[in-house]
Amino acid sequence: MVSISTRIGKKVIERPVMLASGILDETSGSILRSLESGAGISVTKSIGIQERKGYSTPIISVIETGMLNAVGLANPGIDAFLEEFIEVQKKDRIAVSIFGKDAEEFSYLAKRVEEAGFGIVELNLSCPHVQGFGSEVGQDPELVEDIIVEIKRKTNLQIWAKLTPNVTDLIEIARAAEKADAYVLINTLKATGVDIYSRNFILSNKIGGYSGPGIKPVALRAVYDVFRETGKDIIGVGGITKWSDAIEFFLLGAKAVQVGTGIYYEDYAIFRKINEGISGYLEQEKFSSLEEIIGLMVRK
Amino acid sequence: MNFSEIEEINNLGRNIFNIRFKASEEAMPGQFLMIWVPGIKEVPMSISSMDEVFEITFKVYGEATKKLSEMNAGDRIFYRGPYGKPYPEPSGKTAYVAGGTGFASLKPLMNKYGGDVYIGARTKDELFITDSNFNISTDDGSFGFHGNVVDLFLSIGKVYDTIYVCGPEIMMKNFYDKVGRKYGKNVYFSLERLMKCGIGICDSCSINGFRVCRDGPVFSYDEISKMDEFGVKRRTESGKIELMLKR
Repeated sequence: MVSISTRIGKKVIERPVMLASGILDETSGSILRSLESGAGISVTKSIGIQERKGYSTPIISVIETGMLNAVGLANPGIDAFLEEFIEVQKKDRIAVSIFGKDAEEFSYLAKRVEEAGFGIVELNLSCPHVQGFGSEVGQDPELVEDIIVEIKRKTNLQIWAKLTPNVTDLIEIARAAEKADAYVLINTLKATGVDIYSRNFILSNKIGGYSGPGIKPVALRAVYDVFRETGKDIIGVGGITKWSDAIEFFLLGAKAVQVGTGIYYEDYAIFRKINEGISGYLEQEKFSSLEEIIGLMVRK
Repeated sequence: MNFSEIEEINNLGRNIFNIRFKASEEAMPGQFLMIWVPGIKEVPMSISSMDEVFEITFKVYGEATKKLSEMNAGDRIFYRGPYGKPYPEPSGKTAYVAGGTGFASLKPLMNKYGGDVYIGARTKDELFITDSNFNISTDDGSFGFHGNVVDLFLSIGKVYDTIYVCGPEIMMKNFYDKVGRKYGKNVYFSLERLMKCGIGICDSCSINGFRVCRDGPVFSYDEISKMDEFGVKRRTESGKIELMLKR
C-alpha cells in the first residue's frame, strides 16, 4: 500500500483529505463522524467571540454547477463551543476555524483554542457575506499580517490562513499572510442567485458564496499561482468531489485538500472514496508516496 | 426551486391548516418538503398526502406558517424536495402514535397499510382529524382520554408488531422510555428539529452525528438509542446546545 500521509508544517497527517470549515462541523457529533469516515483532519465551523444566529432561511441553494450559501457565520460563540468540546477526543485531528474583526479578537480566540487543547487554528479571512468579518478583513494586507503576527506572539498554534479569491491580487494577500504555517485556498466566490417565478433572491441574505464543481478551475489557479510564488504549504479546497480532483490539486502544489460541498453529492463516503482513489492512482502511476506528486507540475 | 398552484386550502382546527397542490415529484410516506415563503423563510414540512397531489398539514407557529395560512387557491406555493428517508414498510399488526400535527407525517402510511391510530392533542380544538376508530387523548380532557397519548396507549394495552411514532420530541422520548424497549427494533420515530438546509450539509438538525434531514427524519429504535441528546438537549439557531424544557 502506497503511503498517502502528508505533512503541513511539522505536523504529519495520515490522510490528506480534510473536512472543510462550514459543512457538517457545527456539532461535535458530526465532527467525530467525519473523522471516523476517513477525514485526516476536520475543520470546525467558524467560531467568533459572540454567539450568532446566522441568517434566516433559505441559507443554501443547490444550483446546476454547485451551491450558493449564506449561512451568516452562525456559531454558538467561543465559550459554548469550548464547553461542548471539553470531553471530545481526537483534538489533534480537529482544526478550529475562527473569525474576528481585528488582531485583538483573533488572538483572543486563538489563545482560548490553544488553552482548550487544540493545536491548529484556521483563520477565516474569507467568508464573503458578512459585513465586518471574513473577506472584509482578508482583503486588507496590513490587517492580515497583524492578525497572524499577534497570534504567533501569543500562542504556539499551527496557523492556517484561509484566503479569499475575491481580490484583485491574491499574491499580495498571500505575502501578507506569509507568517502562517499554511494557506487554505480558496473560500467561496462572492455570488448571488435569482428565482424567476417568485422574482426573489434565492438566499435570504441576497449575497452569498458559490462553491462546488463550478469553482474548481478558479481554486486550481489560486493554488498554482500561490505555490509558484511562495512555495509554502497549501491546502487546496474548492469543487473537489472525486479523487481525480484531489490529484489535480496535488500536482499544482497542494499538500492536502478539503471537501465541503462534495458531501452533498457523495455524503460521508467521500472521504474514504477519495483516500482510496489517491492511493490507487499513486500505485497505478508507479509513485511510491503522495509526496512525490506534490507540486510536480510546478517544480519541473 | 419548484412551485405549484394551490388547489385548495382548508382550516382544519384551531390554527391548523391543510394545503393541497399538484406536484410532479414522487414522494414516499415520511418524506418532507422545504416550503419557501419568499421574503420570509423556508421551513421543513411533512408531506401529509402524496397521491397525485401533495398535501401539507401544519399549525401556525411563526411568520412563514402565518403567511401560508393566509394563501388562497390559485396562489403559488414554492418548495424543494422531497427529502429524507421514508418510513420502512410495516409487518404484522401496526400502530400509529401521534402527538399534535405529528399525524400529518403518519397519515399517508396509515392510509396505505392500515392499523390502529392513537392521537394526542392539547385540546379538542387542536384535533384536526377524527374518526370513530381512532384512539384519542387530550391533555385537558376536552375529548377522549384525559391525559397524554403515551398513557392512552398504555391504558389500552394492545400488542403490535410495528409501531410508528411522530410528535413533539418530549412526547416521543416518553414513548421511547415507557414503550420502546419492549418493542425494540420494530419501533420507528420521525423526528423534527430546527432545520436550515434540508440536504444534509449545514449540521443544524444533527443529533449525536445523525442528521434529521438526511439520515432521518425516520429513525429506528436502535438509532435513537445511540442519541443521548434525544429528548434531552436541542440546538438553537446558532448551533448552541441547550436543555430541552418539558412543557
